Amino acid sequence: MADLVTITIDGVEMQAPAGEVLIKVAEDNGNYIPRFCWHPRMKPAGLCRMCLVEVVGPRGRALVPSCTTKINDGMVVDTQSAVVKKAQEGVLEFLLINHPLDCPVCDKGGECPLQDHTVAYGPGESRFVEEKRHYPKPIPISELVLLDRERCILCARCTRFCEEISGDPLIEFRDRGNAVQVITFPDEPFTSYFSGNTVQICPVGALTAAPYRFKARPWDLEAVESVSMVDAFGSKVSVQSSQNTLVRIDGIDNEATNQGWLSDKDRFIFEAIHSEHRLTVPLIRKDGELVEATWGEALEVAADKLASYPGAAVAGLGGANGTNEEAFAFGKFLRTIVVTPHIDAQLDDGLDPHFLVGVTPRATVPDLETAKTILLWAGDLKEELPVLYLRVRRAAAELGANLIVVHPRRTGLDDVASHKIRYRPGTGPDVLRELIAGDGEYAAARAALDEGPVIAIVGRTGLSEDPRLAEAVAAFARDLPDGKIMPLAHRANVIGALDMGLAPTLLPGRVSESTAHETLEAEWGPLPEGLGRNATSILEGLRDGDLKALVMVGSDPVRDHPEPTLAAASLEAADFVVAFDHFLNDSSAMADVVFPVQGFAEVEGTVTNIEGRVQKVNRLVPGPGQTKPTWSALDDLARRMGGDLGATSAAALAKEIATVAPAYHGVTWDSLDWGAGREGMLVPVEGGIQHLEYIPVDGNLVSVEAHHGLHLGRVLYDDGVRTRMSPSLAPLMPTAQVFLNAADAVELGLNPGDDAVVRSESGSVTLPVTIDNSLGSGAVYVQANLAETRELGAAVTVVVAAGGDA
Amino acid sequence: MKILTERMDAHRTDSHTIERYEATGGYSALRKGMLDIGAEAIAAEVKASNIRGRGGANFPAGVKWGFLAPAKPAYLVINGDESEPGTFKDRQLLERDPHQLIEGVILTAFALGINHAFIYIRGEYPKPARRTQHAVDEAYQKGYVGKNILDTGFDLDITVHLGGGAYICGEESALLNSLEGRRGEPRLKPPFPAVAGLYAKPTIVNNVETISNVPWIVNNGGIAYASIGPDTSAGTRMVSISGHINKPGNYEIVMGMTWRELIFELGGGIPNGHELKAWIPGGSSAPWFVPDEHLDTPVTIDDVGKHGSMLGSGAVIVMDDSTDLVAAAHRMVRFYSHESCGQCTPCREGTTWLERIFNRILSGQGRMADIDLLLDVCDGISPGLTWPPAMTTICPLGPSATAPVISLMRYFRDEVEARINEEVTVG
Amino acid sequence: MKDVVLSAEESAAIGSWTAESQGLALEILGKYPKKRSAVMPLLYVSMIENGYVTNEGMKAVSILTGLTAAQVQAVASFYSMYKREELGDYLVSVCTSISCFLLGADDVLAAIEDESGVPDGETGAAGKFSVEHVECNGACGGAPVVLVNYEMIEGVTPDKGRELVKWLRDGGPDVVSTEEMQQLFGGERAFDWGIKELEGAFLPIPAFGPYGSAKGAS
Repeated sequence: MADLVTITIDGVEMQAPAGEVLIKVAEDNGNYIPRFCWHPRMKPAGLCRMCLVEVVGPRGRALVPSCTTKINDGMVVDTQSAVVKKAQEGVLEFLLINHPLDCPVCDKGGECPLQDHTVAYGPGESRFVEEKRHYPKPIPISELVLLDRERCILCARCTRFCEEISGDPLIEFRDRGNAVQVITFPDEPFTSYFSGNTVQICPVGALTAAPYRFKARPWDLEAVESVSMVDAFGSKVSVQSSQNTLVRIDGIDNEATNQGWLSDKDRFIFEAIHSEHRLTVPLIRKDGELVEATWGEALEVAADKLASYPGAAVAGLGGANGTNEEAFAFGKFLRTIVVTPHIDAQLDDGLDPHFLVGVTPRATVPDLETAKTILLWAGDLKEELPVLYLRVRRAAAELGANLIVVHPRRTGLDDVASHKIRYRPGTGPDVLRELIAGDGEYAAARAALDEGPVIAIVGRTGLSEDPRLAEAVAAFARDLPDGKIMPLAHRANVIGALDMGLAPTLLPGRVSESTAHETLEAEWGPLPEGLGRNATSILEGLRDGDLKALVMVGSDPVRDHPEPTLAAASLEAADFVVAFDHFLNDSSAMADVVFPVQGFAEVEGTVTNIEGRVQKVNRLVPGPGQTKPTWSALDDLARRMGGDLGATSAAALAKEIATVAPAYHGVTWDSLDWGAGREGMLVPVEGGIQHLEYIPVDGNLVSVEAHHGLHLGRVLYDDGVRTRMSPSLAPLMPTAQVFLNAADAVELGLNPGDDAVVRSESGSVTLPVTIDNSLGSGAVYVQANLAETRELGAAVTVVVAAGGDA
Repeated sequence: MKILTERMDAHRTDSHTIERYEATGGYSALRKGMLDIGAEAIAAEVKASNIRGRGGANFPAGVKWGFLAPAKPAYLVINGDESEPGTFKDRQLLERDPHQLIEGVILTAFALGINHAFIYIRGEYPKPARRTQHAVDEAYQKGYVGKNILDTGFDLDITVHLGGGAYICGEESALLNSLEGRRGEPRLKPPFPAVAGLYAKPTIVNNVETISNVPWIVNNGGIAYASIGPDTSAGTRMVSISGHINKPGNYEIVMGMTWRELIFELGGGIPNGHELKAWIPGGSSAPWFVPDEHLDTPVTIDDVGKHGSMLGSGAVIVMDDSTDLVAAAHRMVRFYSHESCGQCTPCREGTTWLERIFNRILSGQGRMADIDLLLDVCDGISPGLTWPPAMTTICPLGPSATAPVISLMRYFRDEVEARINEEVTVG
Repeated sequence: MKDVVLSAEESAAIGSWTAESQGLALEILGKYPKKRSAVMPLLYVSMIENGYVTNEGMKAVSILTGLTAAQVQAVASFYSMYKREELGDYLVSVCTSISCFLLGADDVLAAIEDESGVPDGETGAAGKFSVEHVECNGACGGAPVVLVNYEMIEGVTPDKGRELVKWLRDGGPDVVSTEEMQQLFGGERAFDWGIKELEGAFLPIPAFGPYGSAKGAS
């Protein structure tokens, strides 16, 4: 912590840390200095010159930009002098001489710093009689963003964001002097995953977002704070609607998580919520077809069928896409109404649930700010958890942490990595052993790992990787100096769902089934005996007839399970399937009863992110048609089955969670909404869950050497139903391809663009070849979660051959 | 007294060759500096010489060296981006005596513990760059540059870098950005280059002429150099005289003569029977001088400064009584508008606005209100129109554009008014 | 000066360049501690290959330097000598800054425009000439100054400007050199140049060693 110094601004004495910039100190003390280019999350650029103030020194007064001037003890500042006011007027007049003043048709009008500053600090009139600068306008610079160079005031916030924060400088200044403009390279659009942030921080209407353009006027907007439910990072957002329709999501600066930034998926996914394909009425299967039904009919069918099986013949999948309260209701429904232990929120596409919520010592996102070394052995963060990518990038690029990236191919973070280790999928265990030994090519990376604090971010690099490898990496890393572990999960509220007991071995509150069984029975009454099945086992049970019925809450195993063919066969074989969902997805389309439920922005509740940080999501718009909150629909079903979840509201469920879920004691909506929990409340790890059994490094975790090792890596814009239902995002889904290095392609007689057949035990797919020399010999990369690649399953090895008619 | 130009004056055909350079005492300072007196003594002599930077800012070079932060690697960058209108002295030094510069570079790098130096030459100077590169190649061959120089264990690489056409790269932080392969936009200061310069490493940036003096200083001692000329304008310096003058060219002078002597004796006076109307004492960024007030002002850094202008890069531009000063001011404003990097709002918008107002006046569309408007636009770039100029900008380019406007209005406002009126009657 | 080995992608990016230009690229990359510094000299080499700064050229430079193409464009467009449009064989640049202006540069420019038929800022006469006015070129003592492919001529009069255009039009050398043109079309110089050197430019790129197009004149 820097020493506090005393400075005087406009006669008011104040204390602030030495070296802080003047503009921030003034603002923190209630003195807003106008600015355009300065942004608290980026390095000062000092180029708009709007924030000039006078510093009064022994040699007189000096006009300085307050965004680049660091305070020192005894500094005296005048923000109101005649010279300052003249300079502010001058800058605004200069900015306006070429500005089109088309405020009535500008998205920014009404929330525009240029408008506001002109009113507050500007000259009354312009003396400019010449012709203004002209450009064609607006021009689309990507599928999502439009650029109006006439409105641009060249503050460089957008270009600096791309270079400094997101690391993909696809927009830049071009030309010089009065001709300077922001622009892309001619045939390289602004395809950043973070482009929407530039729209949000643009101080004028130069960058606008296609999904919001002309949708609303700012003064008509209603807004609530919430948390993005696109992934498990938990970015804080402002959800905004006009006439009960969502029109915009902006990032909110939560120091602990997103620091104001969002991925474009976080930002634009809201389009799916108002999709015409949303489920609005219950459906029941009649004569093989799903047809509309009343809630009463659908509940009756579902209740009668579910009650007709022994509890242990029924299983539940899902709950990871909703709130904690919904997950809790789902678990309580399965354990106390159906009375089954077969519950899983994951689809065997993640890590062991005990490891995910129980590994210690656990790293938080803010720990990245002080980490000396970061070991990243997980999926490509840019694709899987893009805002965590930004935080890790910041740690490496801005804060100087050593970053060691271990991955089968290049990742978004390679540019800022100090060490890159690439390996053929399947050989991870050997790579880990060699890294631990620190010999040869891994010596430098191993040496870096001796510089603590070390944070190991661990996860599955791809869906075909053995999840135990991540545990083995963690077991190594936690013995490193100040070693802490950040285990990764992907799906929106999967950690919350596990915390609510949606795993065969867990009960609500980060406690294991075996230790907390009796305690919970005291609250809930008799619970099913014995450990239940996990997702894969559930699917196998359904396929083999050991299980009869399945209840899915926001789950799509046919798309998301690593073995989609198994999932499809299981749903086909199941006697009875109930789904609670927003859309008919590949799995719910196979159900017998489908209940339309509400989701993000339609319900309130809490979610828990990868760190165990609980945050509040809020309601802004009504759900469409006859949709209900999931907890309410589950409660209705429970009542039909002669039981009762005791759920009168999400708030009531939250209170019960705080009572029966040990780790959630003290987590209240009041605190999250208004109290100390505004940045989220971290739920503890210790206090219930048993110690983890790590895979010993020399044990049975062995490498698979066969050609070709398959890297089945996730992509941001997968063909999940929400992406498909968001018109702005759907076109961004990548073309499915198979990636090989050049030498392997030559050996196989494949040229770029040729069709190759990729075969696994589960099936085969035909994909065009792309050369990727970041892959080692014998490694193959195929994008996961695209329709075209699904048949492949999660094989560790595949056979690649030239395609064609044969 | 000649330091820099003695060799080229005496050997008009081959002063740039290493044979001639060595035959006339070249690289003796290198031996003395590296083998006899050592790194600290070289720096001490340069400090004692009181030589002030010849690029335009006139900052004492020895003091600048003292700011070099200890982090390694450190770099030396020679600023040969000579672009200030009226200035052409570095071009002559590069073309006619590149080894003098190179010897200075080696001595400076040795004194400061620097192993890589860059000579940044403006893009429009291919011939000076060719001569310099050739000389660098010769110095490598002779072992003056490269590994283990003079068996001292000291290594130095010199890279000659050609610019791409941008006046602003003469500003040292813009030059460093350019050398890093970026847009030549001036950086925020602090940090200064001596702390975080090229690749964010400690960097000394000195002008060609400044470093060309180092061999003489090492050979003859800093005190000897300091004793030449007035105290605060020590040594000789190059002045470039151009415009309406009988004998244009570069002159190596001892400062202290009057402007009358410089223009009418050294420069041979005004040609074709015309009278002197005004002159610019230090490049087009400098406010003008006029005969009524400044002919007897001494040509020293301090005296010129006291009279509201600067010696800058030593470029003297002479304008006779036939000069259309409105057009001349416009021509200078146009230059800054063209060369503005575009970062800072007041410079990007203000210099262009100034140019466009002048365009209007010159095309007969001027209004009397334009005179105040011109001055007020200048005030938006350089508040108070003071000297030295206050700035609303990161670097002095914007304020430089105000110098011709303010000078025009200060001394020749009647000509502007007449111009506006005349065109109004005609139109 | 270090030896540089290109990756497969980097080699492919300049695969269409001549062996000479590829060699220049390697030499240039070896001169700088960080490869981003090679952007400007590599842009000149790309101009040797393409005649001007093309999108393909900027992409190749971006791959060699690890930048995005947008970043290379940002640099190329900042500097006035990286021309973005096809040029004539001879780029005739007339300095019209203050000292040249005072000594009649505008008349020289007008004469050259008139004689060549190519207006300021354009390329014409069947691809023979590009004519431009430029800001100060650092030869103020020899004003007015004209450059042909950045090779300088000092003390040019309107009549000499016309003669220069005729000379270039009626044949014109493959390599233009400042020495030859000064002798033919120049006047008073700012200073003595020393012994005559027959190096010059064969393209509208500064004729400087590894960066440009220096070659001995015939």
